[in-house]
Amino acid sequence: MICRKFHQKNPRSLSQWWRFVSSATVPPSRASSAAADSELVSVFRAQDGIFKKPGTLFSSKNRCPESSWSIAIGISRCRFTTQTMADDPFNGVVDVPLAQTGEGIAECELLKWFVQEGEQVEEFQPLCEVQSDKATIEITSRYKGRVSKVLHVPGDIVKVGETLLKMVVDEDIFSSQPSEILEVIKAHVPDVSKPEDAGPGLSKPKVGGVMSTPAVRNLAKQYGVNIEDVRGTGEEGRVLKEDILAYAARGDVLSETSASADQSLEGEQIFPSISSTYGWEYEDQTIPLRGFQRAMVKAMTLAAKIPHFHYVDEINCNALVELKTSFQRANSDAGINEDSQEVTLKGSHNIGIAMATPHGLVVPNIKKVQSLSIFEITKELARLQELALANKLSSDDISRGTITLSNIGAIGGKFGSPLINAPEVSIIAIGRIQKVPQYDEDGNVYPASIMTVNIGSDHRVLDGATVAKFCNEWKQFIEKPELLMLHTR
Amino acid sequence: MTASQARNAGLPIINLLRLKGMPILQQLHLEERLLRTSSENWCIINDGTTRPTIVMGVSGKAKELLETDAVLRDEIPVIRRFTGGGTVIVDQGTIFITFICNKDAISGLQSYPRPIMSWSSLIYKNIFQGIGEFSLRENDYVIGNHKFGGNAQSITKNRWVHHTSFLWDYEVSNMGYLKMPTRVPEYRQARNHVEFICRLKEYMSRSVFIDGTMDAVAAYFALRSPDVDDMQNPSSQFEPSSRILTRQELGEEASMELVGTVSQTSYMAAISSTFPTSKVA
Repeated sequence: MICRKFHQKNPRSLSQWWRFVSSATVPPSRASSAAADSELVSVFRAQDGIFKKPGTLFSSKNRCPESSWSIAIGISRCRFTTQTMADDPFNGVVDVPLAQTGEGIAECELLKWFVQEGEQVEEFQPLCEVQSDKATIEITSRYKGRVSKVLHVPGDIVKVGETLLKMVVDEDIFSSQPSEILEVIKAHVPDVSKPEDAGPGLSKPKVGGVMSTPAVRNLAKQYGVNIEDVRGTGEEGRVLKEDILAYAARGDVLSETSASADQSLEGEQIFPSISSTYGWEYEDQTIPLRGFQRAMVKAMTLAAKIPHFHYVDEINCNALVELKTSFQRANSDAGINEDSQEVTLKGSHNIGIAMATPHGLVVPNIKKVQSLSIFEITKELARLQELALANKLSSDDISRGTITLSNIGAIGGKFGSPLINAPEVSIIAIGRIQKVPQYDEDGNVYPASIMTVNIGSDHRVLDGATVAKFCNEWKQFIEKPELLMLHTR
Repeated sequence: MTASQARNAGLPIINLLRLKGMPILQQLHLEERLLRTSSENWCIINDGTTRPTIVMGVSGKAKELLETDAVLRDEIPVIRRFTGGGTVIVDQGTIFITFICNKDAISGLQSYPRPIMSWSSLIYKNIFQGIGEFSLRENDYVIGNHKFGGNAQSITKNRWVHHTSFLWDYEVSNMGYLKMPTRVPEYRQARNHVEFICRLKEYMSRSVFIDGTMDAVAAYFALRSPDVDDMQNPSSQFEPSSRILTRQELGEEASMELVGTVSQTSYMAAISSTFPTSKVA
């Protein structure tokens, strides 16, 4: 990966993200299992002529970050997930019981397994199908891990609460991804449906008058919090996971870097005003990652598992700059961001635009770009920028993107090595336009506005030839924008 | 914006598919395919099927639930469907109504069997205002304490199907193929089939029932006629699981050749001739 140092204007800005990215050396250890898990949309196999096939979507179905947004929404609805009752989750193996599937249902018949012993499962992946009374129900996994032992065969009657299977859970269970994303969504997307910890079907016994699930009570124990002191924000005063986390964070600084290899849940409590007998003047300060930063850590860790390749090219933007100037003269809408240098591709659907905001990096996308005029795109971009700055993007704005554009050049740098915004399969980093001397066909030197682009792609989906052809076609439209008129419908 | 447009604004879309006389196996294949491969909401109304057919739930055991000698003798097809629930015998007098929905289609509805069942009963409750004492008893739709509609469901990670077979009319003789099941609802109270069920035709016409259903659905969804393309199968990888049971599965002894017994091949030929594999028109 070739990376350059950038002038940092703001801490924790886009440039800091680049620095984090460039120092990431986590090998794609789970690439093979990730590849096994992801289902690839068959359309991508088209090798050429993506502009001829406007319906082509380059998108992998390995939906972790995208579904991580939808998890927060999904979490307010009921899921038939398994709920662990392990006493000691940290030895790895947990008993996964059949959770309550409806009022008055005491047992179900196991119909079939979707997984087998030794298989890696993702959160919310269907584990098995059971039948209760009139319904067949898919039971999904609450946790990510590996199936270590299956305890029933199809045809068995399993009582609610009886162990279905044993799983080795991957990460520490209680700082689970849903609660992190839950926080993000709750903090930043207030118009999304209110997150709830679990559905009515799951048992919620009271402990000394406080209603909560066993998972939440364990979490309180881990943080050394007396659950009865916590004010519950759930239905009927239920104490939720985020109530515990918020209570623990208040007054104490917790270290919660989810990217850390340290599996321990014990929050390190650091007192900022500690005075040491050794006379140190400077103390390390641990800052809890919240909001977009936390989401970014997660997204980048996931991106590190993807085998990237990078394709770099230079594009002559003279004609484009002229065109843009004439557009601006024709349209004096003050809402358009004059620094924007994004280029829209025909044939792509929902194009994400990386935005550096005071709250962190966020990638909203413009939907159905192939149906929008350049003017409409500009207006939509302005709208998304405003929302991003005000921290009011909706979850729909940031999901279902098909490709991301990162205009790192707006901040600085010739080009960078972008990391893919999963589950997309490609990202394009656009460097700053630089004026350099070039030779024309007659051998004369002329000033040219040269922009360097770096297209990061998922090598499981795209090969060099496809990306090169794509880049050539794209480059042609930028260097000769009049060709756009030829293809515009 | 018209009043109806204003009403529809904000309602999720449901594709309303009106069928008449579709063979039940074909309907089950369609439903399962829409459940597993579509991401849209569907309401399917099939006004009567073809020849009398027995349909068992996903884990139904023929020997326990059916008078298999009579079934084999009379060559009644037996289908095991992909949803749970009990056994029914359906024919031209049966009206089928199915909902296939995304789990967030109905605001506030949680995708558990009971809530879905309760929501569905609200649909039909409206139709019976002033006509009969409709209610949901355990898992059945009843008028008074007589069952006229049986339900079954399948709930997947993100979607659910709830389908009902309504007894608009039935042949008493057909009920003779079904044994008294071992698991019965409490309110049945040891009544045999004929004493337990009732005919919807004694309360209203087919069109009143179907039209009333569509009006009720319109309170929750914006109705839309589906494109034929929506119902074609773009993915050849999907294999429906509902199927016709073989004679062996119905308990016929493979080694015995009884005089006059129809062989398996001609049995399958006889029943499959009424289950065309042509696509939905």
